[in-house]
Amino acid sequence: MSFWKLNHPKDQAAVIQNGRTYTYGDLNDMVGELKNTIEASDKQLMFILCSNTLPSLALYLASLQGGQTACLLPSNIEGSLFDHLVEVYSPRWICQPSNLRIVEGYEKAHTVLDYEVMQREVKEPSVMHNDLALLLSTSGTTGNPKMVRLSYANLQSNAESIAEYLELTSDERPITTLPMQYSYGLSVINSHLHAGACLVLTETAVTSREFWDQIKEHEVTSIAGVPYIYQMLKRLRFAEMELPSLRTLTQAGGRLDIGLQSYFAELKNSKNMKFYVMYGQTEATARMSYIPPEKLEQKLGSIGVAIPGGRLEIDEEGQLIYRGTNVMMGYAESKSELSAGDVNEGRLETGDLAEQDGDGYFYIVGRMKRFIKLFGLRINLDDVEKLIEKEIGQQAYCVGNDTKMGVYVQDAGLIGQAKDTILSHYHLHPTSFKVEYLEQIPRLETGKIDYKLLQSLGGLE
Amino acid sequence: MENKLRKIFAETLNISEEQVTDGLEYNSIPEWDSISHMALIATLDDEFNIMMETEDVIDLSSFAKAKEILSKYGVQF
Repeated sequence: MSFWKLNHPKDQAAVIQNGRTYTYGDLNDMVGELKNTIEASDKQLMFILCSNTLPSLALYLASLQGGQTACLLPSNIEGSLFDHLVEVYSPRWICQPSNLRIVEGYEKAHTVLDYEVMQREVKEPSVMHNDLALLLSTSGTTGNPKMVRLSYANLQSNAESIAEYLELTSDERPITTLPMQYSYGLSVINSHLHAGACLVLTETAVTSREFWDQIKEHEVTSIAGVPYIYQMLKRLRFAEMELPSLRTLTQAGGRLDIGLQSYFAELKNSKNMKFYVMYGQTEATARMSYIPPEKLEQKLGSIGVAIPGGRLEIDEEGQLIYRGTNVMMGYAESKSELSAGDVNEGRLETGDLAEQDGDGYFYIVGRMKRFIKLFGLRINLDDVEKLIEKEIGQQAYCVGNDTKMGVYVQDAGLIGQAKDTILSHYHLHPTSFKVEYLEQIPRLETGKIDYKLLQSLGGLE
Repeated sequence: MENKLRKIFAETLNISEEQVTDGLEYNSIPEWDSISHMALIATLDDEFNIMMETEDVIDLSSFAKAKEILSKYGVQF
């Protein structure tokens, strides 16, 4: 049974938002009504500008129930990028917080709570492959229109697998700490709907009082976090907080440094909580592996073992390969590519270099390409270098880790321009990168750039 | 001391010093979000050689409030 059918007892709680509880019956009624308004004679594309709110969730589920294809985007998406995506994919519907913006060629068709559904005036015939359920962006807020194509089977298989290894039941009450359009955030929603659990929807962050008040008031049972959320939790003296309902923490979205892993591993014992360290990519819907919590102390620094139904292996080049029914159909960069079928056949080249220990646990030791992950966003350092070079007319050198990116230029006068380029193209948080002047760029004997040394010079190991 | 604090706010949030007024609030500008909030807390801890309590970290929701909270830790304005 697919999670989007919401096939759970009607009176069971499904969503809590602003202190109000909505049952699976309420949610299904809302989804049913929306499904009727987005009915089309063929399969069409729907942009949803997401927030962690009920209308956003209901629109996503209506798209799945109605057999349409949803493309999830952040509601704070930058105007020019949004316009570009509308031009490239010309969706039939655009769902957004009411009155967010006027889009030329679209008229308002429906409102649901504080969201509006806008419909394209000039209808175009469908180009969509029948299996295509969802488009997620790989590059977050960057200017690239590249999307991951996910099928209905991808979504259901990953939701089931996650619910299985996290041992989710209808008693769970996760709180939303991650954006819904981000694969990890969405996987929390999907897997818990599959289990018939109750989602506590909030837009507040761990740094606000309202967030912690909601955890106490609604007896939240789990928090999902990317590395920076765990840094925040530690600084907030999470260890000293009294949160009796909380029993599970999950972590993904980039490598959590060993110090923090140990800190939370220790904490889970004193607080009687489970702490799951996990690994995944949007290309695999979300999750590929996890460390069973009872093994965490012995396997610190590992990405664990494959999730139920999946398989990990290392190829001749040392690259980590994942196989499973959650592997995407492929990428799309234009509308016509939405008609393509599954090009991966359940096999994903992760781009990560890995090793395996005697117990079968996998460890990431490097990357095929120079990628870093900032706030869960995958960034190709070579792309950043090329982009900056184009803008400042001089070579730039880029290194980084999953916390911070460092860019080095050989003319101090170009620092400002390089900074602006990164901000406007990648929309990175200003605290997540630095641009500095470096007179001499370290090189290997071969003349190639010594990125390893550059990385340690910048304190970015 | 208020000028020192204003400078820290401006530098950490990547905004101009003119923008840092008593009325400046957390989440009221895109530059002061949860991520830069934690960067701000870390800088304040370092610069004033203190370690703020959890309650103070989440209560520090405006420039005016920051002065009030830091006073508790012996910083004089």
